[in-house]
Amino acid sequence: GDGAEIVTRLYGDEKKLAEDGRISELVGSDEVKDNEEEVFEEAIGSQEGLKPESLKTDVLQEDFPLASNDEVCDLEETSRNERGVENLKVNYSEIGESHGEVNEQCITTKEADSDLVTLKMNDYDHGEVADADISYGKMASSLDVVENSEKATSNLATEDVNLENGNTHSSSENGVVSPDENKELVAEVISVSACSVETGSNGIDDEKWEEEIDVSAGMVTEQRNGKTGAEFNSVKIVSGDKSLNDSIEVAAGTLSPLEKSSSEEKGETESQNSNGGHDIQSNKEIVKQQDSSVNIGPEIKESQHMERESEVLSSVSPTESRSDTAALPPARPAGLGRAAPLLEPAPRVTQQPRVNGNVSHNQPQQAEDSTTAETDEHDETREKLQFIRVKFLRLSHRLGQTPHNVVVAQVLYRLGLAEQLRGRNGSRVGAFSFDRASAMAEQLEAAAQDPLDFSCTIMVLGKSGVGKSATINSIFDELKISTDAFQVGTKKVQDIEGFVQGIKVRVIDTPGLLPSWSDQHKNEKILKSVRAFIKKSPPDIVLYLDRLDMQSRDSGDMPLLRTITDVFGPSIWFNAIVGLTHAASAPPDGPNGTASSYDMFVTQRSHVIQQAIRQAAGDMRLMNPVSLVENHSACRTNRAGQRVLPNGQVWKPHLLLLSFASKILAEANALLKLQDNIPGGQFATRSKAPPLPLLLSSLLQSRPQAKLPEQQYDDEDDEDDLDESSDSEEESEYDELPPFKRLTKAEMTKLSKSQKKEYLDEMEYREKLFMKRQMKEERKRRKLLKKFAAEIKDMPNGYSENVEEERSEPASVPVPMPDLSLPASFDSDNPTHRYRYLDTSNQWLVRPVLETHGWDHDIGYEGVNAERLFVVKDKIPVSFSGQVTKDKKDAHVQLELASSVKHGEGRSTSLGFDMQNAGKELAYTIRSETRFNKFRKNKAAAGLSVTLLGDSVSAGLKVEDKLIANKRFRMVMSGGAMTSRGDVAYGGTLEAQFRDKDYPLGRFLSTLGLSVMDWHGDLAIGGNIQSQVPIGRSSNLIARANLNNRGAGQVSIRVNSSEQLQLAVVALVPLFKKLLTYYSPEQMQYGH
Amino acid sequence: AALQTLREWIGIQQFPPATQSKLLEILGKYKEEDVSSLTVLVMGKGGVGKSSTVNSVIGEKAAAVSTFQSEGLRPTLVSRTRSGFTLNIIDTPGLIEGGYVNDQAINIIKRFLLNMTIDVLLYVDRLDVYRVDDLDRQVVGAITDAFGKEIWKKSALVLTHAQFSPPDGLNYNHFVSKRSNALLKVIQTGAQLKKQDLQGFSIPVILVENSGRCHKNESDEKILPCGTSWIPNLFNKITEISFNGNKAIHVDKKLVEGPNPNERGKKLIPLMFAFQYLLVMKPLVRAIKSDVSRESKPAWELRDSGLASRRS
Repeated sequence: GDGAEIVTRLYGDEKKLAEDGRISELVGSDEVKDNEEEVFEEAIGSQEGLKPESLKTDVLQEDFPLASNDEVCDLEETSRNERGVENLKVNYSEIGESHGEVNEQCITTKEADSDLVTLKMNDYDHGEVADADISYGKMASSLDVVENSEKATSNLATEDVNLENGNTHSSSENGVVSPDENKELVAEVISVSACSVETGSNGIDDEKWEEEIDVSAGMVTEQRNGKTGAEFNSVKIVSGDKSLNDSIEVAAGTLSPLEKSSSEEKGETESQNSNGGHDIQSNKEIVKQQDSSVNIGPEIKESQHMERESEVLSSVSPTESRSDTAALPPARPAGLGRAAPLLEPAPRVTQQPRVNGNVSHNQPQQAEDSTTAETDEHDETREKLQFIRVKFLRLSHRLGQTPHNVVVAQVLYRLGLAEQLRGRNGSRVGAFSFDRASAMAEQLEAAAQDPLDFSCTIMVLGKSGVGKSATINSIFDELKISTDAFQVGTKKVQDIEGFVQGIKVRVIDTPGLLPSWSDQHKNEKILKSVRAFIKKSPPDIVLYLDRLDMQSRDSGDMPLLRTITDVFGPSIWFNAIVGLTHAASAPPDGPNGTASSYDMFVTQRSHVIQQAIRQAAGDMRLMNPVSLVENHSACRTNRAGQRVLPNGQVWKPHLLLLSFASKILAEANALLKLQDNIPGGQFATRSKAPPLPLLLSSLLQSRPQAKLPEQQYDDEDDEDDLDESSDSEEESEYDELPPFKRLTKAEMTKLSKSQKKEYLDEMEYREKLFMKRQMKEERKRRKLLKKFAAEIKDMPNGYSENVEEERSEPASVPVPMPDLSLPASFDSDNPTHRYRYLDTSNQWLVRPVLETHGWDHDIGYEGVNAERLFVVKDKIPVSFSGQVTKDKKDAHVQLELASSVKHGEGRSTSLGFDMQNAGKELAYTIRSETRFNKFRKNKAAAGLSVTLLGDSVSAGLKVEDKLIANKRFRMVMSGGAMTSRGDVAYGGTLEAQFRDKDYPLGRFLSTLGLSVMDWHGDLAIGGNIQSQVPIGRSSNLIARANLNNRGAGQVSIRVNSSEQLQLAVVALVPLFKKLLTYYSPEQMQYGH
Repeated sequence: AALQTLREWIGIQQFPPATQSKLLEILGKYKEEDVSSLTVLVMGKGGVGKSSTVNSVIGEKAAAVSTFQSEGLRPTLVSRTRSGFTLNIIDTPGLIEGGYVNDQAINIIKRFLLNMTIDVLLYVDRLDVYRVDDLDRQVVGAITDAFGKEIWKKSALVLTHAQFSPPDGLNYNHFVSKRSNALLKVIQTGAQLKKQDLQGFSIPVILVENSGRCHKNESDEKILPCGTSWIPNLFNKITEISFNGNKAIHVDKKLVEGPNPNERGKKLIPLMFAFQYLLVMKPLVRAIKSDVSRESKPAWELRDSGLASRRS
């Protein structure tokens, strides 16, 4: 009965919804903003578009508003989800509110901790299962999003490293996915949210259902009237994921390659939710699905087991799924409908993109500048891709593999995916050209003309005696290299070329590697010779061979794998296939004495090697495909004379196909990469361009000029000169005070409270005056000294020597410098002595660089810092400072050379040279700055800088103005620009300081900083404010806040006091809190 | 261990009658010689089939076999008694870890064997591996270091996975001889056995096939491709070694702990003292004294101590 109410409410509140949408927009971060806008527009658009439809389809009237309502919510979720998992909780509560507005039904929106179940796919793990249970008031609706991208026929959701290096993919499926009848399907992605089905089928007859299904599969966008919230979810979420112009099409396009596919994630944080977008064969199946939704988990696991083969081939890791059965409403046949349409929120899909790789922001921008030119570009790419596809089909045809082979299907799918991603803006992705491609391939093959333009280079690596040379012989089916069981067969790297089924294959045979640590230098030698050999023509594929029947336990291969990684770099494993020789050997006896299954054996062994490689490469996402190899002459063969393994696999075509697939994907990748750089032309530069904002901000930094030793304090003087005149009276004030006697502690205790206060006030006042006077004197002394020095210069030489002696030189005897304060440590001894160093009379000031965040017990030195001030011709100061730090990972060098020349009155020019590490390259900067100190209150400076980073040069310009209004207020403004290769970044900073009248004594100080940076129209504004206010005699309040226009900020308030020691007890509060949280779960555990 | 010694060798009944009778015959031989116990130590790299061999020999699952994991560092003692004769087999963990010989494992084994006498050492490796490498040499070296060279005179080379067809149509016997020769050579070099050490003596080679798929002859005995029934053959060889006249290796405290490092060079201490006193300390003292006498005080110090006026 609630449905009707909601209809009315919804119509009335459409505006509200829009507002909600806007709220979400406001909340969203800037990066996502654009998308959100889009999404938002779409949301509104679809809502409007849907209205008439929903009126038409009276059956669904009750459901529909609900759907759209949820759709908005989902929309919000999606857009937020892009921002990470943390925000999710917050969003949920927001969603809850908006929902409540519309519905007045939502009592609680509970976000069950979204369990991420990681999927390990072919190469990378990049999927997750978001499992969010949301309970709404009375109706507990649950959604199990089980993401399982592994399939046998269409191994589709698996990602290829070539296409997606380092990217994260999350894909979640919502709605109904029916497992195909095809037995090959390993585990279909199943996320059945019962209510989605129910809402969908509620009142729709079977025909309608089927029609809808056709719609989704057949890419017809017009009639989706019968769609439910679930479907809309899909649409919206797809579109929500950044700039897909026609979401339906894309969703459908994803499906098209092999007609049955899981939705696939592409890009970084994109998430796509193809919902209901699977060809659903019949309603009956849906019902089945629904029924089985309660125990989806086990089902999937089972099916995983069934498809062991595919696991071996494409390195599947089992998918875990969690279905919260408790939260599921009782499953019921979908077709039956219900007596009264219960209000059920449409399923929500939460997606949590796991950010493994770096999130680039190219994608959204790419979408912005979609031009017609690009469309043409795209057409060209498509043609090329089609060509690649044909090529691959021909290859697989020659190897005797049908397009239904797992590897073939997967490659084709990926190609399709790549195409789709490329073509998501502007041009439409036409129907999948598989049929065309396969027809073309067959035609070409049949004609036997048109030589196949393909060759593949495989490099074979492995331990000595595992059968590298023998494998090569098997690949070519002839004795290319002589092998001997007991002699080291291959002594040096060699090239073997030949044709396999008319495909040109080049294999690089390498000498065998040795497993012992003590032999690693030999291995290194071998591998270095290999590296030199492959320099000219790098291999497409690395085949790492090991024996299947060896039990390399105890990390026995680790030294060898490590050496390979050291010599070639971890990237060698990205394109590596693991080959297991002696594949026909029988598995060892299991624990109960009977032989374990062959598949189990292979799987386990593969896991061991894959794990070892992962460890050696230091990349836990690696998942090298495994291929089996058997070179024994007695190996079983099939009728065609091909060797067959115990599991019935013909290994050679498989191995070659895997290799070719990698090559093909690399080709496609190269094609698309190339394409990536075309739009706008700016991406090409930006990828390599120096970080202009960074350089600019370093340029804008106001630096002190190098000074002669005797002028070290000039600057202060200049500033303090301002109100010198007023000082004289203050000065005399101190002398005029009556004599004052300090009280001892014993006397202090005798004083009454008011007396004490008076005494302290008096003392403070006197202290202040005294310090002021001292400072003044110091300043005077310096001034005098300066004048004196100036006079000396005019004097004859003899006199000046005398003066020199009097000048306070640094101690002529090395004296220990004060101890460094070390971080708290658990060490029993006090290791400060380790860090003591002497201050010598040497002009070079050399200091250790202490690393305070190091490990306990560690030697905290990270590097050395050397400084020196030279004086050239008694006039030009040249300061040098260099620092070399090195930790376990990398070394940093930083060198700064600065000099300044005074010319004319109040004008000085400084020149500087910087050198420092920036990433892996060294950045060299030359900068020059001229200062005009003509006026006391206003000082201007202009500067230039040129930076060489890598092979790019960037130049910058800045103007700075320092305004000193009075003693209490000063302001520095600077603005500048940095350019490199036609790319310009503008920036400005403002820093104002407001301080106590007599600053060093009065502790009040406020600073305000603002910075603006504009790069590629990307405006970054940041500000910070800091204020230090003294409270009472011995307390200070320091407040600090910063904020930028991305919404990130920080506020900190600090109070320090030397009086109220009991304040420190406050620190115990969080401690106790933490303890309490520990306490309660502990009890629970003990209870168990 | 005391409890284990009491365990009856039931596993022997699992063998086919032909094997059983041969084994009992061998046991009778021991009785004749009045030997009541035999201790066999099984060593080798990880994953070559040491535990499986022990299990095959005993006829029951005495040692835990794990295909993909190593079994930890502790050796296991399997003792079985049959009509007054005790057979002790010590199964050891693999000696290689991460490309190194695991010294810790060797130390544990040594400590485990304290006060035992090793009658026979079985050095186990696989037959179906084509190459030998430095690790083999290191393992042999480690065993030699632990128990002395002499242990190799009480040892046999056991080659597992014997049921296998050599590659490239090689003759089986040829392959076996080549493989065993390669390994024997490794033992010879790894243990630094000299020619005269091996005079009139050779380490026997025993082939073993532990798999359940091992071929069987008409009397249901597990046989090798060459037709010999390998379990009695193994026992025969062990018996031969135990009676080959060489002394069994008794693992005593000295062997386990090695020479006491505290004792080494103790006599040199007074000498070192004398050396230091005469050649280091004396010149130093002299140098300091001469330096003090040559000292020239800076002007300010003289001034402060009122000497300046006198000096100038």
